Amino acid sequence: MSIAATHPDAAERGDLVRLGLWIFLGTVTMLFAAFTSAYVVRRSGADWQPVWLPPVLWVNTAVLLGSSLALEAARRLGLSQRVASAGSAYLIALALGIAFLAGQVVAWRQLVAAGIYLPTNPSSSFFFMLTGAHAVHVVAAVGVIAWGTVVTWTVGSRDAVRWNTTTDVCCLFSHFLFGVWLYLLALVSFS
Amino acid sequence: MSTAALPDAGHADLGFVRRYIFSTDHKVIGIQYIITGLVMALVGVALALLIRLQLGWPDHQWTLLSTLFPAGYAGGVMTPEFYLAVVTMHGTIMVFFFISYVLVSGFGNYLVPLQVGARDMAFPFLNMLSYWIAFLSALVLIASFFVEGGAAAAGWTAYPPLSAIAAAVPGSQLGQTLWLLSMALFIASFTMSGLNIVATVFSVRAPGMSMGRLPLTVWSYFIASILGLLAFPPLTAAAVMLLLDRHAGTSFFLPGGLVVGNQLLSTSGGSPLLWQHLFWFLGHPEVYVLILPALGIACDILPAFTRKPVFGYRISVWCLVAVGVLSMIVWGHHMFVSGMSPFTGEYFSLVTLTITVPMTIFGVNMLASLWGGTIRMRVPMMFALSVIALFGSGGFGGLFLGNATADMQLHDTYFVVGHFHMMIGGVTLMATFAAIYYWFPKMFGRTMNEALGKAHFWGTFGPFFIIFFMQHFVGLEGAPRRYYAFTSFDYLQHTRGTNLAISISAMVLIAAQALFFVNFCWSLVAGRRALPNPWHATTLEWTTASPPPYGNFADREPVVHRWAYEYGVEAPEGDFADQTVPPRSVPVTV
Repeated sequence: MSIAATHPDAAERGDLVRLGLWIFLGTVTMLFAAFTSAYVVRRSGADWQPVWLPPVLWVNTAVLLGSSLALEAARRLGLSQRVASAGSAYLIALALGIAFLAGQVVAWRQLVAAGIYLPTNPSSSFFFMLTGAHAVHVVAAVGVIAWGTVVTWTVGSRDAVRWNTTTDVCCLFSHFLFGVWLYLLALVSFS
Repeated sequence: MSTAALPDAGHADLGFVRRYIFSTDHKVIGIQYIITGLVMALVGVALALLIRLQLGWPDHQWTLLSTLFPAGYAGGVMTPEFYLAVVTMHGTIMVFFFISYVLVSGFGNYLVPLQVGARDMAFPFLNMLSYWIAFLSALVLIASFFVEGGAAAAGWTAYPPLSAIAAAVPGSQLGQTLWLLSMALFIASFTMSGLNIVATVFSVRAPGMSMGRLPLTVWSYFIASILGLLAFPPLTAAAVMLLLDRHAGTSFFLPGGLVVGNQLLSTSGGSPLLWQHLFWFLGHPEVYVLILPALGIACDILPAFTRKPVFGYRISVWCLVAVGVLSMIVWGHHMFVSGMSPFTGEYFSLVTLTITVPMTIFGVNMLASLWGGTIRMRVPMMFALSVIALFGSGGFGGLFLGNATADMQLHDTYFVVGHFHMMIGGVTLMATFAAIYYWFPKMFGRTMNEALGKAHFWGTFGPFFIIFFMQHFVGLEGAPRRYYAFTSFDYLQHTRGTNLAISISAMVLIAAQALFFVNFCWSLVAGRRALPNPWHATTLEWTTASPPPYGNFADREPVVHRWAYEYGVEAPEGDFADQTVPPRSVPVTV
């Protein structure tokens, strides 16, 4: 990482924002690491019963992957100087991000319909809490993607540095959250 | 890019609210943190006064206090439940809302950009957001005094089941929920602040300011911030789970078979020890989040008053790094009596005693920094020296507590209270005062009164040392902490005199702080005008005006040519060369 000037210009600010995001993702990683250690400890309790996972979760996984891929497509369009075309990719990513959140609500409602509530069993407590904590971060990511969509439509190629920074942030955040989702899914699936 | 037109661009046109209330200037935000922390300290000290009144005169009827706190002083004598709430809030406020705000966030905000030669933090808006969330966090905590059941009473460590069951104690009702909410806000704010400091040190340094030229203050904030970023999220996770246990019927921390008020609770299978692990995974690094900046500040103040470079700069930096790493893996030494496996206890003993190696080297480096110096006993220097004294004395007690065998006897006694007050209380308090006296001229363009400052020092250090040194011996006698009175224990009757002496010393200590507040307020408006570099110091903040302008360095960007401790040299300005003096004027020694 190069050192920015004491009053950074736009490109240097872009590097700063990326660095800031990496640091933030480090703290989020520690949050889920703490949840994981609690999960491992609590799972050893005699009252633990595996939670039923609604099948819609697999659809949601595909939807979140789609959102991440759409953003990656937007980034690559920008690299090939076709920022104007990236707007559609952004819209798809945004729609899929919202769809994922809706899908999670569906999963929670299916669990409730099956008589599995937050306090039913420690496994269900963890399921609701972990997916809830992840969803809170996805809400933030959807906000960032919405902001990226606005930047794409309003600024676009006229300010390539700003657009690149915004898109990198959206991509990194979304890819990270997709990775966290895969991790959480594996954690609760193999319990 | 040109920076000539940047510094005050548009700033003078901003209204009062944008310049001083919702400001993005790191200096204003730093001062906001410091003032908020000092106000919170008033609350924390008032609570300490209540504690010492109770322990010094446990049978006395306090008419005035029973008027102020009718429920807490039923019949004129403090109730055990109120005592628990007072102790809990005293600890919480002093650790998180005084030392963290003033020393870490306050001076961290003020000093880091100036000392690395930046015009502001990496993310100024985030910085402003951080302060206002911190302010909200303090408000929520204070509000908890006024809800039904009163403030939280489960200790600053909030151990369940006491903290998880509303019926357990009056403070475990809404007060505990607000405590948790306040902590969540605090962590969010601290994360933003830490992120800013790390990014600023990493990426927004002046030309020539390599990592090897950073002052130890900056190094200490850098490492403390990384620790905070890694250690605080687990407490967030724990707080979420505790809130769910309290309000959603889950059993993360609540075991089965709990009976409260002759009623069997429906909880099952949870582990209270899980909370302890998660809490101390934060709690122990938090000690270093507070202490490292204190040590860094002391290291930067010493050379200005010995007129010689700090000793062992590079080794000290590596010690800070080593302490940072080790502090993440020693948390279990707070839990030796929790039924931990002896083998695990041995591990935690070993790594805890290992951490004393870099800490001792650091302490010896501070002592060696005095050797051969021309010591000037000014107020900041006196407080910096007291940092070394308390660091040595308090650290010595830590050797006993880090050893599992000794800790079995000393755990939850006043030995622990004496130890941690000397370390995260004393070291940080003395460093906070050292920092205020040292950088006051830079922050406000005026100097504080020297005679009042010296009187304040002796009125602070003397009683402080007496109080917490004696508490070690009360602990050795077996006096348990968190008890509201020892009147019912025959084996502790002979400690009543010591407790009385401690309480009287505490009154002197508290009264001495009036000298500080008078000096602080009077100097703000009528103190002698300060020169840009009144201490003839070398770090970058002393190369700009007092107080620094918006953008810190007027129309020129600082260029760094040397390390931060160029003292004892022949230079046009005297026996020092600040970091911007080029080699052609004064040869670079390191």
